[in-house]
Amino acid sequence: MFRIGVDIGGTFTDFAIWRGEGEGYVRIGSHKRPTSRPDLAQAVREGLDEIARHHRLTPDSPFLVIHGTTISTNAVIERSQPPVALITTAGFRDVLGIARLRLDKPVDLFNRRPEPLVPRERVFTVRERLLADGTVDTPLDEEGLVQALRAARDSGATAAAICFLHAHRNPAHEERALALAGAHLPDFPVMASHQVWAQQGEYERATLTLLNIYVRGLMDGYLGEIERFLAECYPQARLFITKSNGGIMSAAEARRLPIHTLLSGPAAGVTAARELGGHLGLDRLLTFDMGGTSVDVSLVDAGREAVSAQAEIGDFPLLLPVTAVEAMGAGGGSLIWLDGGILKVGPRSAGSDPGPACYARGGTTPTLTDAYLIAGYLSPEGLLGGELPLRTDLAEAAFAPAAEALGIPVVAVAEAAIEVATSTMMARIIPFLARQGVEASDLAMMLYGGAGGIHGPIVAAEAGMQRIVVPRLPSVFCALGGIVSDFVYDAIRVTHGVVPEPAAFDALVVELAAEGREWLTRQGLSEQITGLARIDIADMRYAAQAFTLPVDISLCGIAGAADAFRREHERLFGHSDAEAAIAIDSLRVRMIGRQDKPHAGGSGATSPGRDAVSRRRIYVGGAWHEAASVLSWNDLDPAVAVSGPAIIERDIATILVPPGFSARIGAMGDLDIVRKD
Amino acid sequence: MDPVQTEIMKNRFTAIAEEASTVAYRTAHTTFVKQTQDFQVAIANREGFFFAFPVMTGVTSGSGQTIAGLTQHFPIDNLQPGDVLISNDPFSTGGLVTHMMDIHLARPIFVDGQLACFAWSFVHASDIGGAVPGSISPDLYECFQEGLRLRPTKLVHAGQLNRDVANILRDNSRIGDAVWGDLEALMAAMRLLDRRVNELCARIGMSAFERGVSDVMSYTEIRARRVIASLKDGTYRFSDYIEGDASGAAVHIHCELTIDGEEARIDFSGSSPQVLAAFNFTTGSRTHPFLCLGLINYIQTMEPGIAINGGIIRPITAHAPPGTVLNAEFPAAMGNRFVAVMRTYDTLIGCLNQAIPDGIAACGAGQAGIISCAWTDPATGRNRVAVVEPFSGGSGGRVRADGVDANDTMIGYLKSTPIEHVEVETPLVVRRHELVPGSFGHGRYRGGASIAIALECRAPEVAITVRGLDRFRFRPWGAFGGQPGRNSQVTLNPGRDDIAIGRVKLQKLVEGEVLDLVSSSGAGFGPPVQREPEMVLHDVRNGMLDDIAAEMVYAVVIRDGRLDEEATRRLRSSRVPAETVSAVCFDETRIEYERDWPPKAACAFSMALLAVPAGLRKTIWERALRLLLQRPELVSGDMEELVRHVQLDNSRQQASALEIDPPPPGRPR
Repeated sequence: MFRIGVDIGGTFTDFAIWRGEGEGYVRIGSHKRPTSRPDLAQAVREGLDEIARHHRLTPDSPFLVIHGTTISTNAVIERSQPPVALITTAGFRDVLGIARLRLDKPVDLFNRRPEPLVPRERVFTVRERLLADGTVDTPLDEEGLVQALRAARDSGATAAAICFLHAHRNPAHEERALALAGAHLPDFPVMASHQVWAQQGEYERATLTLLNIYVRGLMDGYLGEIERFLAECYPQARLFITKSNGGIMSAAEARRLPIHTLLSGPAAGVTAARELGGHLGLDRLLTFDMGGTSVDVSLVDAGREAVSAQAEIGDFPLLLPVTAVEAMGAGGGSLIWLDGGILKVGPRSAGSDPGPACYARGGTTPTLTDAYLIAGYLSPEGLLGGELPLRTDLAEAAFAPAAEALGIPVVAVAEAAIEVATSTMMARIIPFLARQGVEASDLAMMLYGGAGGIHGPIVAAEAGMQRIVVPRLPSVFCALGGIVSDFVYDAIRVTHGVVPEPAAFDALVVELAAEGREWLTRQGLSEQITGLARIDIADMRYAAQAFTLPVDISLCGIAGAADAFRREHERLFGHSDAEAAIAIDSLRVRMIGRQDKPHAGGSGATSPGRDAVSRRRIYVGGAWHEAASVLSWNDLDPAVAVSGPAIIERDIATILVPPGFSARIGAMGDLDIVRKD
Repeated sequence: MDPVQTEIMKNRFTAIAEEASTVAYRTAHTTFVKQTQDFQVAIANREGFFFAFPVMTGVTSGSGQTIAGLTQHFPIDNLQPGDVLISNDPFSTGGLVTHMMDIHLARPIFVDGQLACFAWSFVHASDIGGAVPGSISPDLYECFQEGLRLRPTKLVHAGQLNRDVANILRDNSRIGDAVWGDLEALMAAMRLLDRRVNELCARIGMSAFERGVSDVMSYTEIRARRVIASLKDGTYRFSDYIEGDASGAAVHIHCELTIDGEEARIDFSGSSPQVLAAFNFTTGSRTHPFLCLGLINYIQTMEPGIAINGGIIRPITAHAPPGTVLNAEFPAAMGNRFVAVMRTYDTLIGCLNQAIPDGIAACGAGQAGIISCAWTDPATGRNRVAVVEPFSGGSGGRVRADGVDANDTMIGYLKSTPIEHVEVETPLVVRRHELVPGSFGHGRYRGGASIAIALECRAPEVAITVRGLDRFRFRPWGAFGGQPGRNSQVTLNPGRDDIAIGRVKLQKLVEGEVLDLVSSSGAGFGPPVQREPEMVLHDVRNGMLDDIAAEMVYAVVIRDGRLDEEATRRLRSSRVPAETVSAVCFDETRIEYERDWPPKAACAFSMALLAVPAGLRKTIWERALRLLLQRPELVSGDMEELVRHVQLDNSRQQASALEIDPPPPGRPR
């Protein structure tokens, strides 16, 4: 079916278009509109109308819209939503205030714990208690519960979350509380923790539940608006939303559980990278998505997105399985400065206002973008598709004080600043990969986003990578991710301390799988699902060990789980113990409903190259290369490799081919940059 | 310093140190490591000073350490690639090992046959044998009770594990396999560091590497000097106490800070001699980070981007006389030393309050409690031990911010365990885990609140131990007119028996019994009547303060949850804080104690005591205290004289004891 991926970014709202069955990956189209504020839906509506006109879609045309949005993310980071309340077990009123106790910067004498999402005055407690095995210790005080709900509503809260101790083991008290809420306060929205994610850990589970109700009104409103627009103009169109775990869900599901959208922005890009990597035979990738103020990196390993169970959003833990992304505050706007004679880059950024000095909007502090320009990586004429010329003179003027202080030429300072920024990124990327048990030099880089084309290859070269891939549509890659995503559902059962016998354990897997299948049915697109896949993960550890390792037991089942755990331990840590007792703390089942996807066939080759090489002076490795090749991506001859150092330009991106690498158009219309041996 | 390469090398060193620390953390076995992150992996130069120290994972406060105390035992000629050195001996490692539970490892890193640097790591082993599970009990009084002690030894010879040493380690811990698992994790991380340093040197050359090591440390030193230079020149003194000695006498910690341009000197002369309890520590008679933590933290606070390495300690000189609690000698017990380290930190903050124009912070809860429980597994009959929760109390109010509730600064790295996890792992039901309203020290910036935890026993019998407790006697002191915080309280069976039991050592609970612990709290900073009325209202609305206290203490009138601005203004105008609310606000107990036993006398007495042979100090100390009780006027006299007097008295008594017990008659010689 005709599919349109939509992704709202800071500057542009991106669209990716696939016309459906029979069309290959290389025929996916793109579209862009400036993001509309404050009415974000406007650009989405207009973009959809434009695409519909161009592709002659009529009100009777069935098509799918797969939408990624970070409005929920921003609402949490900015805490912009109206107040909500928490109802919890008596004796634990400060579950949010104490959090996990630890302070982020213990050595900072002004350290503090972040303000909880809900202040103590809107946390209400109720007499009730379950024990760790789920049995009832103190029955639910029903009158007290209704009083607490009333007090919550009277406090000005627009909704309440309920999180009782051990509700992940036995939801009885939470279920009863929901029933009472429905009976006594039918108009007051209430949600309980077991409905959101039945994980152990009262602080984390309460936080998830609160975040969900916190952004629910906002997402309900926004998605409702898009749905109304579609119902009115394209009644045969259906809306789906990208999830933080790299999958998609129905709009109705997203309106009920918007928690799954909180980290969906970067996740969709990683899904797109995995898909393209699959077509290219690359199953181990470092993704590199650089914008004006930040870089997001992630990992695809063995053809799967790396999953994190310890993600964070704003000040809060997000204990759901999500695509693991490391976000770094380094972008094209990062400021370059001297600290007592030492050259530094960031962490402050010029942002978009005033922006880099070369934008001539009043910025006088040099930025990384200014450094790219001085070194010749960016053209003074600006980006090919852009109307903004870049002022080399202003960039040089901004660098002049530093050059004078250091006694070296401006261009040497510029390159040194780029090198400093590279080392800063490496200081984050390497520990991130260490947490995943992976080494950078074993990976290929896939880079996308607006600003990564210059710094991505530099980082890849520094990290000892052999290959860099720039997708054919790098600037709408996250929108494209929506098109190639599957339905993905995660379910969890905690088994900590009460691991069932093998037979019962297998039954548990079956139960969770059935839950997953039922979820897939609810998404309302069963006829489009081309296949099912299931991944069973056991969170395992040595009994004497505190950390769990996620172990894939899809193939071996519970019977082979212990061996699989030891192999994984050996792989990650280089040692394992054949005798030590092993424990399973939880079971997670991921159910995947596969969607029809663009196939890899067809040729990505464009028209034969029109030898349109120009030459530009660029500064790499401490020296000027007087006549480096500068080519337009669209003019590249698929048969000819371009040897670095070289620059490849396209509408909104500039790509540096580092010395020692060569680039050519690849099978999927991508740019394939490989290390020459 | 190379203006361009310095930052690049700093980042490269950071990347490999953080990577190694991450690997160790992920691989470590024990719950204790997970909860407290009480381990670290870093890289030291040939002289033993760290040039890269992780901050994302592990203990972040040891960057000023030197590992020379361990490596000096092995001349360079005896070192080979693939060696691993090990020790947990505080008495032969010059202050590197500060108590025996910390097992330290070092691995020389060779590049092209030349020693380039050392990989180093340590982990707090959850048990190394000794008298009690976990090896730490406040009342142990000599190192032999605290478990296995291993002097600097080669654990690995050129890649070959010395199995004898490994077996000794595994056999002498209650959880030998888990401890060994942690050590394997550290060794894997150090192997990785070795590889990374070699890769880096292969790429940039050994001389660029060495230049980087030196530049990165110099850069940190310069920034540290910049901070010290901003302090007021002068000499500042401050005293505080640890209560834990079984004798009942308070242990005196006395700090003298001198700021001289861009350098600082810290002297703990006058502090009490080491005690027969487990809260001594060693500092190797050098500038040890434990003696400078308050200042090092202040430097890192003022220079947030500073690279964390040994350069930070270069402008500081610190001294703690051998034989004191802060530089204890063989065979002192040290398991519970963290309380003493916290109090050492508190005294330095007390000095910094005088050296920083507006001051910095009031005193925090001052304890680092770790609650553990032990019980018999009904199925197997085996003893089981588990950590329940950390237990501290709020930090002190600060010059521009309230204290942090429930957790003091010095143990801000501690992580709590979900109650839902605790109740699966132990036979306890946690009846409450929450803040205590009204518990904080009042001030313009209030202290952090106390935390309460109530543990109900659900097994036939559970033994609760809490190490690291203090502050049952002297309350945390307020600063600049802020009020003191609260003391800790422990109650058995609240609402039923209400038995106050003070500092928990080992508390047995039978089924159904409840142990209720309420922590000490942070003191206030600045006069309460200067607190923003909005902040008072915030506390009242959140149920952390009642409106009576708001009016009495803060002169803020709150009616029906609303601020009455007019009434507040009127009330406040009548309550100007006394001009000389002395900078420090001690509680009554301390004021009374110091009336009888002024810090000056305590210092003089400690110094006099240190002058007599170590074996006599305890007896003389006790006798002198008894004598002072009878003749309080002696406090203002010459302490050397007093000690001499008691010592003579001592030998006379020994002589008379001989006279009283003559050899039995008639026995042949």
